[in-house]
Amino acid sequence: MPDIDPTEHDIAELGPKIKDVDDEQELEEMLAMEKGGEGRAPVITLIEDRLEKVGGEDEEVDPSEADLTEMTIADIANMIRDVDDIEVLRDILEREKAGKDRKGAKSQIEKKINNLEEDDGEETEVEYVPPEEKYPDLDHPTNDKQYVEGTVDGEYRDMWVYCETQRGELIDVSREMLGKARELMDTYNDDYDESEDVIAVLIGDGVGDLTEECLAYGADRVVYHEDSRLERFRHKPYTEIFCHMCRDWEVEWRDYHEPRYTVFPATNNGRDLSALVQGELDSGLASDCSGLYIEDADISNPAKTGTPGETKTFGKILHMKRPDFSGFEYSTILCIDKPHRDFHPQGASVIPGSFEIPEAEPEREGEVVEHDTDLPEEWFQVEVTEYDALDEGVDLTGHEVIVALGRGIGDDPTQGIELGLDLVDQFEDADLGLSRGVITASYQFDGHVEQYITEERQIGESGQVVEPDVYIAAGISGAVQHKVGMDESDTIIAVNENPDADIRDFSDYYIEGDLFQVLPRLTDALEEGEFARALQQEVSDD
Amino acid sequence: MTETPTDEYEHYEAVVVGAGPGGAAAAAALANHGVETLVLERGVDAGSKNVSGGLIYAEESAPYTIDDLFPDFREEATERPADEYYIHNVAGRNVKTFDLNDIHHHDTEWCDSVLRRKMDSWLAEQVHGMTRETGGGLLTNVRVNGLLREGGEIVGVTCDELDPITADVIVAADGVNSELARDAGLMDWEEPEEWFQGVKAVVDMDPDAINERFGIDDDEGVAHLFAGDLFDGVRGGGLLYTNEDSLSIGTVFHLDSIAEEKAEPHELLDSLLTHPLLDQWLQGEYEEREYAAKLVPDSKKAAHPSPHRGRLLLVGDAAGQMQAQGPIIKGMNHAVTAGGLAAEAYQEAKARGNPTNAGDLYEQKLETEGVMKKLRPARYRYSRPVSESGLVTGLTNGLLNSPVGTAGLKLFGGLVERAFNSPFMLGMIPDTRFSYVTMPTRIGEVLGTPVTAENDIEPPELDERIGDLTYDVDDPHIEVLDNSFEASGTAVTACPVSAKDFGGGCYREETVQTNGGEQKVVSLDTQPCVECGTCAVVADTHWEHPPGGKGVEYKQG
Ligand SMILES: Cc1cc2nc3c(=O)[nH]c(=O)nc-3n(C[C@H](O)[C@H](O)[C@H](O)COP(=O)(O)OP(=O)(O)OC[C@H]3O[C@@H](n4cnc5c(N)ncnc54)[C@H](O)[C@@H]3O)c2cc1C
Ligand SMILES: Cc1cc2nc3c(=O)[nH]c(=O)nc-3n(C[C@H](O)[C@H](O)[C@H](O)COP(=O)(O)OP(=O)(O)OC[C@H]3O[C@@H](n4cnc5c(N)ncnc54)[C@H](O)[C@@H]3O)c2cc1C
Ligand code: SF4
Repeated sequence: MPDIDPTEHDIAELGPKIKDVDDEQELEEMLAMEKGGEGRAPVITLIEDRLEKVGGEDEEVDPSEADLTEMTIADIANMIRDVDDIEVLRDILEREKAGKDRKGAKSQIEKKINNLEEDDGEETEVEYVPPEEKYPDLDHPTNDKQYVEGTVDGEYRDMWVYCETQRGELIDVSREMLGKARELMDTYNDDYDESEDVIAVLIGDGVGDLTEECLAYGADRVVYHEDSRLERFRHKPYTEIFCHMCRDWEVEWRDYHEPRYTVFPATNNGRDLSALVQGELDSGLASDCSGLYIEDADISNPAKTGTPGETKTFGKILHMKRPDFSGFEYSTILCIDKPHRDFHPQGASVIPGSFEIPEAEPEREGEVVEHDTDLPEEWFQVEVTEYDALDEGVDLTGHEVIVALGRGIGDDPTQGIELGLDLVDQFEDADLGLSRGVITASYQFDGHVEQYITEERQIGESGQVVEPDVYIAAGISGAVQHKVGMDESDTIIAVNENPDADIRDFSDYYIEGDLFQVLPRLTDALEEGEFARALQQEVSDD
Repeated sequence: MTETPTDEYEHYEAVVVGAGPGGAAAAAALANHGVETLVLERGVDAGSKNVSGGLIYAEESAPYTIDDLFPDFREEATERPADEYYIHNVAGRNVKTFDLNDIHHHDTEWCDSVLRRKMDSWLAEQVHGMTRETGGGLLTNVRVNGLLREGGEIVGVTCDELDPITADVIVAADGVNSELARDAGLMDWEEPEEWFQGVKAVVDMDPDAINERFGIDDDEGVAHLFAGDLFDGVRGGGLLYTNEDSLSIGTVFHLDSIAEEKAEPHELLDSLLTHPLLDQWLQGEYEEREYAAKLVPDSKKAAHPSPHRGRLLLVGDAAGQMQAQGPIIKGMNHAVTAGGLAAEAYQEAKARGNPTNAGDLYEQKLETEGVMKKLRPARYRYSRPVSESGLVTGLTNGLLNSPVGTAGLKLFGGLVERAFNSPFMLGMIPDTRFSYVTMPTRIGEVLGTPVTAENDIEPPELDERIGDLTYDVDDPHIEVLDNSFEASGTAVTACPVSAKDFGGGCYREETVQTNGGEQKVVSLDTQPCVECGTCAVVADTHWEHPPGGKGVEYKQG
């Protein structure tokens, strides 16, 4: 009869107790009792783990004599866990160097040596069982990985930002992340008196064209990898490239083990990549975050501090806020090192639109580095044979200028749209918006403009909300349901023949007149590059 | 076509559609009889879709009153009693006021003003409690979209949000524009003559101000009606009732008259609101809490003499049981009575072992309990063909304008007031311009005294009224079948949230170029729609209610 009857205890109670049971026989009995009782799966696992551990001890090899070439890195890691003699370890290290000379194996041994030197025999109070030891028969914690890299006290620097592109352009969230990263790292460098960088990562076909833009939005260094095979996002090569860039790549400026922080967009592709990369780098991931800040954190969880009842301050912690329950609650996720294992990079994926797009500073300087390595053909085994371009609809947000048309075009709807489009064409970054009044009208549009008359271009309460630098509203009365979709625009210019139209109340410039005459005049003035003057001539007052 | 066997659907003994006064009464009475009852209501909350002018009557002669079924009703769900009742005959600034207390109190046990959101949601709570005990309950946010049939027989209902439900009896208390009555072929929405359109504003007012301005105490209230020339010849009248801390001010017009005159309902309301007569109560202050509108059936023409088909029984507005007794509007009380009788009929039919007989029994009860007599008075049926013909009214019109007629009016002023107070006379009043406009105007002109006050309040514009309403917009629930101006143009003016030259309404008039020529058409955006039902009648549409919880949400009602 064993001392502990597992069926009488909670799992929480059993955990600590079972660690003191060393007798295989007793454990077998406990296992039988639990199976005969409630048969709780976690309890069974717990006992079995302990059994394996206890049972496994018998077969241990003598570290000073083991044939390292016969052992995997995990075997070696296991073996040296219990070796506390620095001399023995040095001997093992030498033998590994003389033998297979595996980087992973050496770092394991070196780390152990370092620990012993530093600790100087000091004992941690929480018993630590590394995963490799806990599951010696499991040769792979995950499918792809032979072992978890148990880096301890590694060197980490910089914030790496994965900048996603679509059709050869940065998507907005990439700009948003760069802006946020800049802000975070500026504060970080001040607070901690450091000089760490924001590193933008570009992977794709022809992404070299975008490096300047990344610098302009806040990166200190842009690392990019171009290859025509990378035209579409693919799991294997993208993950491998990212990890090689930030962990394995031997370049003089990257004098650290892994990034301190990584930030990805929480887009479809960004979510995939973030999970794969963070997994490969043996760290965690806070997905779908909407807020980020860096500060110290006081933690008293013994799993992190190593000592129950002790509160320890962890420095430079990225606080990652994410909405739960559809945004009714927020959690702040921290990714913190454990006594025997580092959790770096501290990684987050970020919901698009969470941060402002910063003002681009084209004159900002920085370094651009091409990651020019060969990509093995087997990374491309998965081929994209076919794809559908999802009809993403029209996104009117993020433009510098919106020209919006209302029912004022009623006298000649087709011409009205044409005039609006002509004006749109005069700006570098502009698009056409509509009031709901136009979309629900019975106007007959000619074929070539008909495609524009869709709810996707509706601005307002039940349409899109835009805040461009310039919003030109022509023939729109300014109903409150329209107003809520545009009144945060920097400059609002209204063209309306009715001086009592509500829109005048919230416009910066009001042009009284027939849009069929005013719009062409504005277009002409812009062609001649005299918009400001044309505007001044047109406006009545306000 | 294959039919899903109906025995696979969820079954309740009774399904009640709609949680207005008719549905609440039917469900409560069914629950009292121990019948397992499920109530389905499309609003986010009962009352969120409903409007009334706001006086609910408990008639002495009625077999069921609302407080019979819900004893705490007056305490919990009403605003103020309507103790006094006046009608103002208006001719320009001239006003002659008659005291209508006799007719108001005739056959009246009590009469209180109500706001429907508060009233109906309180009722729904009680109903939910009562029906829960029978194994049923009340569900909001569910729109019933049709009848479930098996082999041609009605066996249940289908919904937007739930799987079909079968029942032994289905009470359609889904109000005016009842989709179930239409589906059963019992009602159509064709003739504007059969309907009124009611429009109402709830106006914020401090209780102390109400007491002072109306000369009443906290537990007292008044009702005022308005008729005469302040509505541009459109047949109908106005109302003003006191609530606890607000006023209900509204107008009710014959829909055919609104259509013919191309009248703008919101402007008619504004004519009343800005009349100098109202200054004594508004005193330059006007804060509108809510603008609302709904069709009202005219029982004289619309009340269905046999409102049932198979297991389906129609109750209240769904059956056209809305009595306009001259200026007095009685819909809620009759809906309650009918709900009670429908439940009673089902219970009796079931007790006699033949539940399918419920409809016939219900019809009998409507007759024997005197309900039908009130809804479709025989006097009206006899007098209508004569008095509504142009010739007769022309004659009477002429008479009234002649010196003799005027002299008569002067002499018999008291008599006219007495005639107004006779339920017999009121039941006979023909629906002509004469009764609604000419006579009150002449009374005002001849007998009235001028109002000297100035009323300078500014009611909100239509776009502000729309902007103040709460909507949860969805896909369009109304489809214009013929968008030519001839077929559907009336809706541009008649729709209470549309107006000529207003781009922000539901219906808008537009000119389109058609190979060579120009055509006047209408376009429709249902987002501002308040689901009043008007365009179901005056325009060529396919008209449905929005799905459960969608569309407009009234906070006052
Ligand atoms: C301006 C105005 C003034 C009035 N003044 C008075 C007055 O002073 N006194 C008076 O007694 N009457 C008055 N009436 C009439 C009165 O409001 C109605 O007669 C009364 O509300 C009818 O009650 P009901 O239960 O039949 O229908 P309603 O109260 O209309 O209730 C029907 C219910 O069914 C629901 N419903 C509808 N369709 C569906 C569906 N498909 N699925 C699920 N649920 C559905 C609705 O949301 C609603 O809750 C007035 C009406 C108006 C418009
Ligand atoms: C619940 C709800 C949600 C809504 N959501 C939206 C929404 O998301 N977006 C939206 O836009 N609307 C929305 N609406 C509709 C909104 O209320 C208005 O109806 C709509 O914005 C009006 O469109 P408009 O200004 O183009 O038309 P109108 O109000 O008809 O205005 C036309 C204007 O053009 C001017 N004009 C006419 N001819 C000329 C000319 N030749 N030259 C210059 N000016 C001229 C007129 O003076 C007038 O001011 C919503 C409504 C509701 C009820
Ligand atoms: S669109 Fe039709 S149902 Fe809606 S508010 Fe106008 S008239 Fe009434």
